[in-house]
Amino acid sequence: MNYIQNLVLDNYDLTNEKLENILSAACPKNIDFADLYFQYTNSEGWQLEDGIVKSGSSNIDSGVGIRSVAGDKSGFAYSNNFNYENLISAANTSKCIVKSGQSRAIQLGNSQNIRKLYNSVSPLDFKTDDIKVKFLKDIDKYVRDKDDRVEQVIVSLAGTYDSILILNTDGIKAFDDRPLVRFSIMVILKVGDRRERGSSGGGGRYSYDEIIDTKFAYEFADEAIRQAAVNLQAEDGKAGSMTVVLGPGWPGVLLHEAIGHGLEGDFNRKKTSAFSDLIGKQVASSQCTIVDDGTISKRRGSLSVDDEGCETKCNTLIENGILKGYMQDKINAKLMNVSPTGNGRRESYACLPMPRMTNTFMLPGEFNPNEIIESVKDGIYAVNFSGGQVDITNGQFVFTASEAYLIENGKVTKPIKGMTLIGNGPEVLKKVSMVGNDLKLDDGVGTCGKDGQSVPVGVGQPTLKIDEITVGGTQV
Amino acid sequence: MSSNGNNILIYKDRLEGIYKDLNKKYSHEFNLSVSNGYTVTSRSSEVENIEYHEDMALNITVYNNFKKGNASTNNLSSENIIKTIEKAENISQNTQADDCQGLPESNFTEKQWDNLGIYYPKDLEVENVIEMTKDCEAEAFKADKRISNSEGSTFSFSKNSHMILNTNGAYGAYDSTDYSLSCIALAEENKLMERDYWYSSSRDFKKLEEGSSIGKKAAERVLSRLGARTLKTQVCPVLFSPEMSASIISNFLSAINGSAIYKKSSFLLDKVNEKIFPDFVNIREEPLLVNGPATRPYDSEGVLTENKNIVDNGILKTYLLDTYSSRKLKMDCTGNGVLTNITMNSSEPLVSDIISTLKNGIYITDMMGSGANTLTGDYSRGAFGYLVENGEIQYPVTEITVASNLSQMFQNIVALGDDIDLRNRIRTGSLLIDNITIGGTN
Repeated sequence: MNYIQNLVLDNYDLTNEKLENILSAACPKNIDFADLYFQYTNSEGWQLEDGIVKSGSSNIDSGVGIRSVAGDKSGFAYSNNFNYENLISAANTSKCIVKSGQSRAIQLGNSQNIRKLYNSVSPLDFKTDDIKVKFLKDIDKYVRDKDDRVEQVIVSLAGTYDSILILNTDGIKAFDDRPLVRFSIMVILKVGDRRERGSSGGGGRYSYDEIIDTKFAYEFADEAIRQAAVNLQAEDGKAGSMTVVLGPGWPGVLLHEAIGHGLEGDFNRKKTSAFSDLIGKQVASSQCTIVDDGTISKRRGSLSVDDEGCETKCNTLIENGILKGYMQDKINAKLMNVSPTGNGRRESYACLPMPRMTNTFMLPGEFNPNEIIESVKDGIYAVNFSGGQVDITNGQFVFTASEAYLIENGKVTKPIKGMTLIGNGPEVLKKVSMVGNDLKLDDGVGTCGKDGQSVPVGVGQPTLKIDEITVGGTQV
Repeated sequence: MSSNGNNILIYKDRLEGIYKDLNKKYSHEFNLSVSNGYTVTSRSSEVENIEYHEDMALNITVYNNFKKGNASTNNLSSENIIKTIEKAENISQNTQADDCQGLPESNFTEKQWDNLGIYYPKDLEVENVIEMTKDCEAEAFKADKRISNSEGSTFSFSKNSHMILNTNGAYGAYDSTDYSLSCIALAEENKLMERDYWYSSSRDFKKLEEGSSIGKKAAERVLSRLGARTLKTQVCPVLFSPEMSASIISNFLSAINGSAIYKKSSFLLDKVNEKIFPDFVNIREEPLLVNGPATRPYDSEGVLTENKNIVDNGILKTYLLDTYSSRKLKMDCTGNGVLTNITMNSSEPLVSDIISTLKNGIYITDMMGSGANTLTGDYSRGAFGYLVENGEIQYPVTEITVASNLSQMFQNIVALGDDIDLRNRIRTGSLLIDNITIGGTN
C-alpha cells in the first residue's frame, strides 16, 4: 500500500487541484521551478544485548518539503501538518527566496509509471514481533554456543518503509514506496585481558523474510566471530608509505571517498572540488572503470526514482582511467547544462536534495586475486573497513581498516591492528597497478553523510593493488 | 522573521489529559522537543538558500514489568499520541524482562526552569540576516587575492523547547535558543586548492562574533594551509588544537559512559579510582553554565543534572551513568542520560604560548576518519597540521597519519594551553601530547 495516497492525500482531501494550487503558490513568475516532497516513513528497530532483547522502538515521521528554485537559489520550508492551509502557508514561505511576482497556473500530469526495483510492501507488516525477538535470541545463542571466548553479543534488526510522492512544476507526479531492512551483529571476544571486536551485517530493499528465513544472518554471525578472533591475534602495524592490496567488496569505500564525493555535481558547478574541470582527463590508471549504479534490484543504495522524480541510471564516472562525468541533481544539471543523472537525493522531506551517490563500484579487471598478492614483496592486505571521510577541495581522503594483514614475499602472513589510510583522491587511483577479476558488492550496510544528511548507499570493487599509500600504524 | 513561540504548554495539557486514562499496569515517560528556526546561506555575494525548519518529536517510553517499549512520532494530535502510546505498549509485550529497567525512582525534576541563561529569543529581519552573511563572506574575499572561491557564509537560528513528563511524577520544561554564523573559504595557489572555515555559536545573538571577524579568520586559516608538504614518518610530540583536543576528550567520555562499561566494550573498564591522566589534569562536568552549549537542568530521563568532578588530579572518579546503567553496575545514577558541558582544566597554570612549549614537533589542527577504537584504545587517524621547529611554525603538513593508543596519549599529556574553545561543549585548550607516531613518507 502507498501510505501517501491512503493516509495523506485521501485523509486530508488533497485533490489534484489543491496540489496544483500549492505548487502554484510556491512558484510565482520569477521562480523557475518548485517541487513538493510528501513523505510518510514508518520505521522500527529491535536490539539484543547482554543476552536479552531489551528494547524495541517504532517511529513514524511524516511531512511535506516545499522548495522554490530560481537559478542557483533555493527557498525551502516544510510542514509536519498536511492540512491544505498549512501547506499553502509553507509554499508562501518557500517562495520568499526571491521578491515575489504574480502567481502562475500549474498543471499536474497523471502519476508516472515507474520502473520498480523493489516490491511496494512494508517489511514491517511481514513478520510478527515475537518472531523478530526469537530470531535475535537464536542468533545470540548460536554465537555463544559456537565460541567460549564470547564476552558480548549485540544483534539488531531494523526495518523502514518509506512512502513518498514527488510533485513538481514540470508536471511530474511520481510515487515510490521504499522498503529497507538491515541486520547487524557485533561480537566481542576476550582472551586474558584482551578484548577485540568483530562486526558484520547486511540488508537491502526487501522484507525481513530474506533475513529471518535464510542462513544469511548466521553467515554474518560467523563473520563477526572470525573478525574478532583475527583481531585478537593482531600486532601493531608500521607507519609510513607502502603497497596496499585491498580485498573485494566493502573496501570499495575507497572509491566512495577518493573519487565519489569529488564527482558530485554541486561541488563541480561551484568549482570547489579537486576534480573540477577534469572531464576527459586521466584521473586513474587505465585499468580503472568506475560506475555509480542506482538501478540494481533490491540493493540498499538503489532507488526506482531519485528524490526529484528522475529515474536512476547506471552512470559511468571513470572509463579506463578517463573522467567521463559527474553525478547530478536537477538544479546542478541545469546550471551546468547537462542532463540529470538520477542522483538527486535527500535524507527526508525536512532537507534540501543534493547530488548524492547510489551504489558506487569499480568494474572487474583481468588479474586473479592470488596473482595480485603474490606480486607484493612487502605490504599490507586490508579486507575490512569501518568508514572514511574526504576533503573534496584538496582531495585528501582517509579510510579506516578494521581487519588487515602483512604481506611478506607474496604471502599473506600476520594480522595487524586496524589503522587509517590517507591519500589524495586525484592521485591515488593513478597508482592502482592491478585490478582483480573478482568484483564484489558490499553486503548492504553503508550510510553516507553529507552536509548533515544521511542516505543509504552501496560500494563495491574487485581486489586491487595500490602501489603506494600512507598507512597509520604505530611502529616506525 | 518573527518567531511565534513554541507553545509547549499546550502539549503539557494534552499529555496530562491523556495520561490520566492510561493503563496503570504500565509506567510511561514522555519526552517532547519542539524546535523552529531558519538557516540562511549566501555565496558569491548573493543569497543562495533560505531554509525554514519546524520540528516536533514526541518520544514515548513504557515499562511493563521490567519490559521496555519505545515509540515516537512527529504528529502531536491527541488521536495520534494515543496510537503511539499503544504502539510502545505493544512493543513492551514482546521484549524481555530486565529488572534494571524502569523509570528513575528519585532525584527527578518537578518544575519548569527559567533563567538558565540559554534562552535569548530575538526577532531578526531576514534582509539583515542576508546582509550579515554577505558581509561575512566579503571579508574573507577581501583578505587576500589567493582567496579564490567560497562555500559561502551561513547563519542559523533555532528556538527550542523541551519537556519531560513521567508517571512517577517527574515534570520538567525549559527553552533554549541557538545562533551560529560561519564561513567556509577556499584559497588557490599553483593550481592546488584548500578549504577551511571559522564559526561562532552562542545561545545569545549579542554574543556572536562579528561576521567580519569570522570571514577574516576563515581566510587566515585557509591561507595558512597553502603550500602544504608531506613529512617523514617519525615519533614526536604533537600539539593538538583545542578543537582536536575536544575530540580526544570526547573519546575518553565515550569510554567511561555507563553503556560502554556494562557492555564491557571499553578500554577503561574497572578503572574508577585509577590514574588515567597525569596529576595536573582535572575534568569536570558543569550542566548549568550560563550560555553553555550543552546546558540543561535534567537529563533525558528527567534526572537532575549536577556539577561533578570526573577526573580529579588525574584520577578517574566516576563513570557517566543513567538509571539503567547505574542499576546494572550497582552504582549511583549520575544524571548522565545525556552529557552536558565538560571542562578540561589543569592544577598548574594554563600555558599561554604553547607552541613555544612544543618547541619541536607537529601542531595538528584537523583530523579525519573514525580511527579511535574505544574498546582497545587504539588510535589512528588522518591529519593536517604544521611543522614546528624552535617554537615556531615552519610550514603546513598534509597527508599524514597520527597513531598511538588513547591510554598512552592520556598519560603522555605534557601541558594544557589557555586557548580554550568556548564554543564547544567540551571546553579545552590545546593539548601537548608526547610520543605520537606520525605516518608520512619513507
